Amino acid sequence: MRDIAFGQYYPTGSPIHRLDPRAKLIFSLLYMIFIFFAKSYLVYLTIFTFIAVTTLISRVPFRAVLKSIKVVLILLIFTGMLNLFMYRDGNVLAEWWIFRITDKGIDFSIKIMLRLAFLIIGTSMLTFTTTPTEMTDGIEWLLTPLKYIKVPVHDIALTMSTALRLIPSLMEETDKIIMAQKARGAAFDTGKIHERAKSMIPILIPLFVSALRRADELADALDARCYNATPHRTKMKKLSFSYRDAIAFLVLAALICFIMVDAYHFITPDTSIASGLDYYLVEWIKSLIAK
Amino acid sequence: MEAIKLESVTLEYKSHNNGIVRAVDNVSLSVNAGEFIALVGHNGSGKSTLAKLLNGLLIPRLGDVQIYGVSTRDKAKIFEIRKNIGMVFQNPDNQMIASIVEDDIAFGPENLGIEREEIIRRVEWALTKVNMLEHRKSTPFKMSGGQKQRLAIAGILAVKPSIIVFDESTAMLDPEGRREVLAVAHELNKNENITVILITHYMDEAINADRVIVMSRGRIVTDGTPERVFAQKDMLESLHLSLPLPTSIAYNLSKSGLDISENILSESQLEEALCKVLK
Repeated sequence: MRDIAFGQYYPTGSPIHRLDPRAKLIFSLLYMIFIFFAKSYLVYLTIFTFIAVTTLISRVPFRAVLKSIKVVLILLIFTGMLNLFMYRDGNVLAEWWIFRITDKGIDFSIKIMLRLAFLIIGTSMLTFTTTPTEMTDGIEWLLTPLKYIKVPVHDIALTMSTALRLIPSLMEETDKIIMAQKARGAAFDTGKIHERAKSMIPILIPLFVSALRRADELADALDARCYNATPHRTKMKKLSFSYRDAIAFLVLAALICFIMVDAYHFITPDTSIASGLDYYLVEWIKSLIAK
Repeated sequence: MEAIKLESVTLEYKSHNNGIVRAVDNVSLSVNAGEFIALVGHNGSGKSTLAKLLNGLLIPRLGDVQIYGVSTRDKAKIFEIRKNIGMVFQNPDNQMIASIVEDDIAFGPENLGIEREEIIRRVEWALTKVNMLEHRKSTPFKMSGGQKQRLAIAGILAVKPSIIVFDESTAMLDPEGRREVLAVAHELNKNENITVILITHYMDEAINADRVIVMSRGRIVTDGTPERVFAQKDMLESLHLSLPLPTSIAYNLSKSGLDISENILSESQLEEALCKVLK
């Protein structure tokens, strides 16, 4: 449980950390959308390089980044397997009962796993390098238009950032409860699935109770510090876009252009499983060998 | 000047079996500005409920609570009261709003709509007061309990209250953390002239207070200087409240026939008295 690194902030003061949170939010959103357009392995390699370089610049330990995938590893493998066995198109390599493995299936499942992994890593980069307060300010700014239709934007943003802040505390709590129940002889790792599921109840109930109590105390603490005293809240830290954001935007824009050009400009014949630039790369290598 | 005034305040809770529990029962109390008060009592004596009545988190059913003459019933002025009376709670983890120290300290003044430059000044001042200025950019996640609790105090200080209530703020801390928090509380009382109400069930934390108030079953049992309160040993014992260790040693020694004063509160007093006897 302790390994869940998602939502944790790593203060290193790198250039990535100093990007404007609004910019980072918009960039992450763009990244999340356009990653689904990625087609060829060449593009996946480029995205991988992009993430690796970003991580290097941010000085967030690689270990932490990998941990963020560990949590969803099962989901990744499951999605991969499902696509591997259920994909219908392409040349059949093996078949058994309802399962069928095809060349296109292998290609597709690898890509979908890569895509999901990149998605998780990219978004956890956002939480690694942005403090919840900055995130709140950023989200609040992005949602500003909603203020005019009387949506309590600041409250929503605060709720989200408190949720993020409480993740490590609740993790710690879960750990403690598990240890306490183990000390009383509870077994979580043995038995059939429904027995194991049942054995989670003594963890979940105390966790819920303590989370609610925590929320109650936090609410009192908010009140004690004059929350909502005035509709005109001030900010200690002013957000401002700088040249860094412009540079980051240009890099991201280049990546997006590359993804889109690869996906829509380099049309490949249906007969080939290589797509996008990969096809041309393969053809080029073939012609080199032929010579 | 009268900082806090309670006039026959009563507050009830519904208990599990639909009965009614009087958490605070007809309590009247007056606290002068600049006093250091220790409010002691057993679990369920109503002392935490009393704390929440002070800044309007709870409103009394009967009676009235006034902070510098403003009643907590006055909804329009509730933020004036909360600005005046800060509150530090038991669990430091549940009081942090932001995950960066300075952002968290700034939360209070930001809520009040104070100007940017002034907020920065206050954050620096508050962190200096609790001796945590070098941690302003770090996250409290890995800090010790005492450090976290001092940050919680700084967060309250940045609002610039004239009264601070410590609601069992030392209960979850190790001895070192307790010492740190107590030192800060005394320092603020002495040098910033902040009225302090220290709620605790550790009797030895009460020895250095100006005034000790003992609560039991929602009522104030006794109220006076530490010397006077700790002289009532049988009464404290009947409430299952232990004496501070030096007092208890002196008491037992005198009971077994040694000629030693019973009004001993601190270790140094005990030391002196023992030396005198042994000479």
